[in-house]
Amino acid sequence: MLLEGLSAVLQPMTIILIAFGTAIGIIFGSIPGLTATMAIVMFLPVTYSMEASQGISMLMSLYIGGISGGLISAILLNIPGTPSSVATCFDGKPMADKGQAGKALGTGVVFSFFGTIIGIALLVALTPLLCDFALKFQAYEYCALAMFSLSMVIALTGKDMTKGLISAVLGALLATAGLAPIDSKPRFTFGLYQMNNGFALLVLLIGLFAISEVMGYAESVRRQQNFTVNNDAKIKGAGFTLAEGIKQIPNCIVSAIIGVAIGILPGIGGGVSCMISYTVSKNTSKHPELYGTGIMDGVVASEAANNGTIGGAMIPLLALGIPGDAVTAMLLGGLQVHNVAPGPLIYEKNGAVVYAIFCAMVVSAIFMMIFMLVGMRFFVSVLKVPKNFLLPIVIVLCGIGAIGNANMLFDTYTMVAFGLMSYLMIKSKIPTVPMILGFILGPTFETNLRRVSQLASSDPFYHHPIFMVLMAAMVLVVIFSSRSNLKEAKRAEAAEAAAEGQQ
Amino acid sequence: MKKAIALSMAAAMVLGLTACGGSSSTAATTAAATEAAKETEAAAAEAPAAEAGDFTFDKTVNVYITHGAGGDTDYMARMLSAALEQKLGVSVVCSNVTGSNGATCMQQYKDGDKDGYTYVCSNTAALNGNEATGMVDFGYDAFEPVAVYGIQSGENLVVNADAPYNTLKELIDATVANPGQIKLGISTGGGVYIEACVLTNLGGAQFNIIDSGDASSRLTALLGGEVDATSLPYSVAADYIENGQLKSLCTLLSKAPTLLPDQEPASATIPELVIDTEYVMLAPKGTDPAAVKAMNEAILEVTSTDDWKQKCNDYSYQDPFVLNLEDTIKNLDEQRTLFQSFKEFL
Repeated sequence: MLLEGLSAVLQPMTIILIAFGTAIGIIFGSIPGLTATMAIVMFLPVTYSMEASQGISMLMSLYIGGISGGLISAILLNIPGTPSSVATCFDGKPMADKGQAGKALGTGVVFSFFGTIIGIALLVALTPLLCDFALKFQAYEYCALAMFSLSMVIALTGKDMTKGLISAVLGALLATAGLAPIDSKPRFTFGLYQMNNGFALLVLLIGLFAISEVMGYAESVRRQQNFTVNNDAKIKGAGFTLAEGIKQIPNCIVSAIIGVAIGILPGIGGGVSCMISYTVSKNTSKHPELYGTGIMDGVVASEAANNGTIGGAMIPLLALGIPGDAVTAMLLGGLQVHNVAPGPLIYEKNGAVVYAIFCAMVVSAIFMMIFMLVGMRFFVSVLKVPKNFLLPIVIVLCGIGAIGNANMLFDTYTMVAFGLMSYLMIKSKIPTVPMILGFILGPTFETNLRRVSQLASSDPFYHHPIFMVLMAAMVLVVIFSSRSNLKEAKRAEAAEAAAEGQQ
Repeated sequence: MKKAIALSMAAAMVLGLTACGGSSSTAATTAAATEAAKETEAAAAEAPAAEAGDFTFDKTVNVYITHGAGGDTDYMARMLSAALEQKLGVSVVCSNVTGSNGATCMQQYKDGDKDGYTYVCSNTAALNGNEATGMVDFGYDAFEPVAVYGIQSGENLVVNADAPYNTLKELIDATVANPGQIKLGISTGGGVYIEACVLTNLGGAQFNIIDSGDASSRLTALLGGEVDATSLPYSVAADYIENGQLKSLCTLLSKAPTLLPDQEPASATIPELVIDTEYVMLAPKGTDPAAVKAMNEAILEVTSTDDWKQKCNDYSYQDPFVLNLEDTIKNLDEQRTLFQSFKEFL
């Protein structure tokens, strides 16, 4: 069946479709406002009329290209191209500012590739085992997982913990707008039906990162500009040396595994996996203080994790027929249209298609790396475009993305409102990233907490070991991170006092 | 506005094509060529018919789909649109406007353009169910119904294969023997919620009703043992039923799907327990009646082919189910009356 699958993919037409899909995916991923999800929405109907293995190969390549493309704008513009590359900005942009844009891009691309491959490897090797793991996650476990992930905010924000928590709580509150989970009661809708759906993650993301970036730039419009951009125009190979790459291998493996684990759990997704793996990488590193100043480690952690999530998300989709997010739900539709029903019998009934999917993913990952490594020589020239030409275009694309998300003009108004909010937050030094975590995880927590309250009468919590382990882990994270944050704050204070004393 | 989006999408595509050079543009053209070849085939299969009614479609028709890409409502709407495109000779453009079980889209387009070029594709359980549960304050009569054009594989009441009950009656009896101990996973607000309310209020069942989210998370909950019974579309549960992990106690359709004749309808046990999810096309209120009639006739024609029958068989285990204008309204009214009769306990 492996051979059958391989021969289905290694046909000129399929290869061309994969190359095309990967390229389109990269473009959608790299443009802020257009996401992998949108690329798949656009092309899903096109695949209805293709052969099963061709159609699904193309969808997979759009997915892989779309998730990988997000790093380009994250590094070059400090605007994540997709929710999955939020954490790539943390170190990618500082690297670009130091004139290492090429190195940052190369690192992101190469470790995106390895992340994808590790994800696929686990998908092929451990699917049955990991399916059991996925099924063990029910309301109790999700509830604890959401709290555990939210506790990461403390580790993520560093010394100014209060402001980080303000941001996360605001994010969770924003997510309560719209129809409530479970009972569908409208909350904060002000009688507007457009508000029934609540705010979209994409719209919030554009507002927080893109609009505020433009407003921040607008402040300096009348100042003298230094338009010379210091970047190493000549990029050799992947932009970094072999020795540097080898040093990142442990970091890459850990991050990819975190990505896969989060991918397996329906509903969490790449946006969270990159932030969690960044935090883990930072806290286990020998030099955590360098994170955020522009080092490879941060880019590797984020990019290996978000691409690992792809393989992870495919596991419950293929073996259980359970899609974890919008993208995999569409892939499920794309498979069913061709009479391939993901589920426990997929290997028996459609084994060739499954192996074709695996092969298509590998081929697409290879194309992704080639396209992006070749393309990055041109991508960096974006930095040479004066920002007063570049940013208006970015804003227009973001507006299109916001409308295209749900075909509603209303979303552009909320996009602008979030932009203003974000600008004020930045002015008052409240970090915007915890808001994204709060926004994604708040509803997960609420929904599952309410389910747990329905379950508790006939299914007490001490029957759920994973729940208890996660809760204990959360307590430990809170204690240890607050301690190290306090120390850091004290050290900073002492340093300030010393500086003042010297004056 | 829409033009602007379309233009910019086109621009993005062109950008995409130029950016990735020769190989990709060949891909696009070949893809287009295959598409074109298929189209000619399809066109050849259907003889070019005379214009229906006294309305001629001469510009792009917009179809708004109330549910997300990849789902059954979306698939059926897109299949119909593709067939209509051949028949009408104009472009039929589909867009998904999702959220709130279809209510967002319906609200947005119920007073849309009335020139006969704007349509909404949805399903009847969402249309009538949202009204009954009070999610929206309008029913099918806020639209001009165009046609019912298909029927779903049906929701099934599903339990683990080793469960001690084999029929709906036995399950209800078991809940009465152990009140509040057997957990039924539902999704609050939709058709499955109506089903749970009917089971409780008219069937006398005493479940512990748990919200388990959409069909795929209900499947997870059942497989993981979080709930003891749940309702799943047959197509979602099919593999598990076949490999002996799950078993279906009954279908909620009024009669078993054509290709699954062994399914027992729930209405044999509880007469009111009928949820026929049918695919329906609607037009904004006040749309030119000639356009509605012409569209209905076009639908009747494109769905009478063998190709359409094959698609329905493959996708939903059903034979084609398409109604003319009069029957469409009658059908919608019957389901609405039934759903409204549940209103007191929803």
